Amino acid sequence: MRKVKILYVDDEAINLMLFQANLEKKYHVLTAENAFTGLQYIAEDKYIKIVVTDMKMPVMNGMEFIRKARLIAPEIAYFILTGFEICDEIQEALSQGIIRRYFRKPFNIQEISREIEDTIAEFSDGCDEKNAN
Amino acid sequence: MKNLKFEHRITVLYLILGLIWILFSDKVLGIIFWDINSLTRLQTLKGFFYVIITAIFFYFFISKHLTKLRNTESELEKHKNNLVELIQEKTKNLDEAIEALSNTNSKLNEKNKIINKKNAELKKTLKVLKETQFQLIQIEKMASLGILTAGISHEINNPLNFILGGLTGLQDYIRDENIRDEKVELYLNSIKTGIERATSIMTGLNQMSRASENYREPCDLHAIINNSLLITKGELKGSIEIKKHFSDTPIIIPGNVGKLHQVFINLIVNAYHAVEEKGSITITTGITNNNAVITITDTGCGISKDKLSKITDPFFTTKEPGKGTGLGLSITYNIIQAHKGTIKFQSTIKKGTSVTIILPAKFK
Repeated sequence: MRKVKILYVDDEAINLMLFQANLEKKYHVLTAENAFTGLQYIAEDKYIKIVVTDMKMPVMNGMEFIRKARLIAPEIAYFILTGFEICDEIQEALSQGIIRRYFRKPFNIQEISREIEDTIAEFSDGCDEKNAN
Repeated sequence: MKNLKFEHRITVLYLILGLIWILFSDKVLGIIFWDINSLTRLQTLKGFFYVIITAIFFYFFISKHLTKLRNTESELEKHKNNLVELIQEKTKNLDEAIEALSNTNSKLNEKNKIINKKNAELKKTLKVLKETQFQLIQIEKMASLGILTAGISHEINNPLNFILGGLTGLQDYIRDENIRDEKVELYLNSIKTGIERATSIMTGLNQMSRASENYREPCDLHAIINNSLLITKGELKGSIEIKKHFSDTPIIIPGNVGKLHQVFINLIVNAYHAVEEKGSITITTGITNNNAVITITDTGCGISKDKLSKITDPFFTTKEPGKGTGLGLSITYNIIQAHKGTIKFQSTIKKGTSVTIILPAKFK
């Protein structure tokens, strides 16, 4: 079975490296150092199923990035990471279903991994028809 | 003569006239009349003459004197009348002046009342102003503290993320490579404990300084108290034992997470300072009649009765200058009030202080 494609966006290179190193066995991890590169990936690669992004990034923050990305790929499951407490913006996005969940930094990779598994399981339930073709 | 009194003058005059008459009248008559018969006749007439002369003389003398007296009397009468009139007039004037004065006085009294009222109002306004100023300072302080801690926590959380990510990678690697070494396990666990502790401090700081005015957030009291104990650990000196008598089930109440942190941090730090060296702090939680009841009891120095009523006043402090602002309990009191709760202090000198907080626990 092919690995699920995940895009991780964060302006901290070490975070990108660690995320990839920790999850590359299970998933195909793409990383982007800023929101613009992230958007480019989403536009070019239709196999990306899951996007995890940092909230605080220069120029375009995580939430703005997700809102733009959803216009290109609304079917992707979006997750946000934040070094801050939950703010109104994230709370709103959660209740509107724009993001599936938010994670606090420092994040527990096992926890994120579990959440990704759950999401993939939901996807494959809903996408049986697609897979049958 | 002029210095003599009237009665003396008249007597002296009478005596002189009588004496002259007696001494010289016969001689004068003897010079004029030689005839003895004529002299005898004249002797009788001389008596009449003397009486007439003296009568005339006295008439003028007395009448002059009496006229003078009468004039004086009438003048006196006139003066007296004038005086009476003057007195009446003056009395009238005085009465008027008194009335005017009493009017002024009552007006002054009224003004005084108004001034007193204004004064009381001013005092009240001043008090409100002082409280508002203090609240503003507080809000400002909390806002900058919030920005600061949020900034620090964000900056610290990233390196923590590196460590945690690195640790996860290492753990996976050790598992995959089947390395079994007790020491490696110990090192990894130490790193993990360190990250966990740092993370919980960051979470605590973040929650404490949350700039939210929402009083309907779900607040886990036990988590908030534990967090406050963790954040204030640095203030803990000597051997102070913390006894936690928490209710078995979690107590979740509506409130403001950040502000409730402030309440418990203030009360815990006060308890630490009261105990100083050796003693204990007991924190009890429970639910009665839809209210959360929290008691924090210390075995510290206690607060005297006269000070106990003032401890929630802004800027009142028993601590040395620079050690306390006198704002802690005032803030605590205001926050509890904003939660529609109550806070009560009981204290015995040298035995300790007990603070009881009652907060509504029902979500409406």
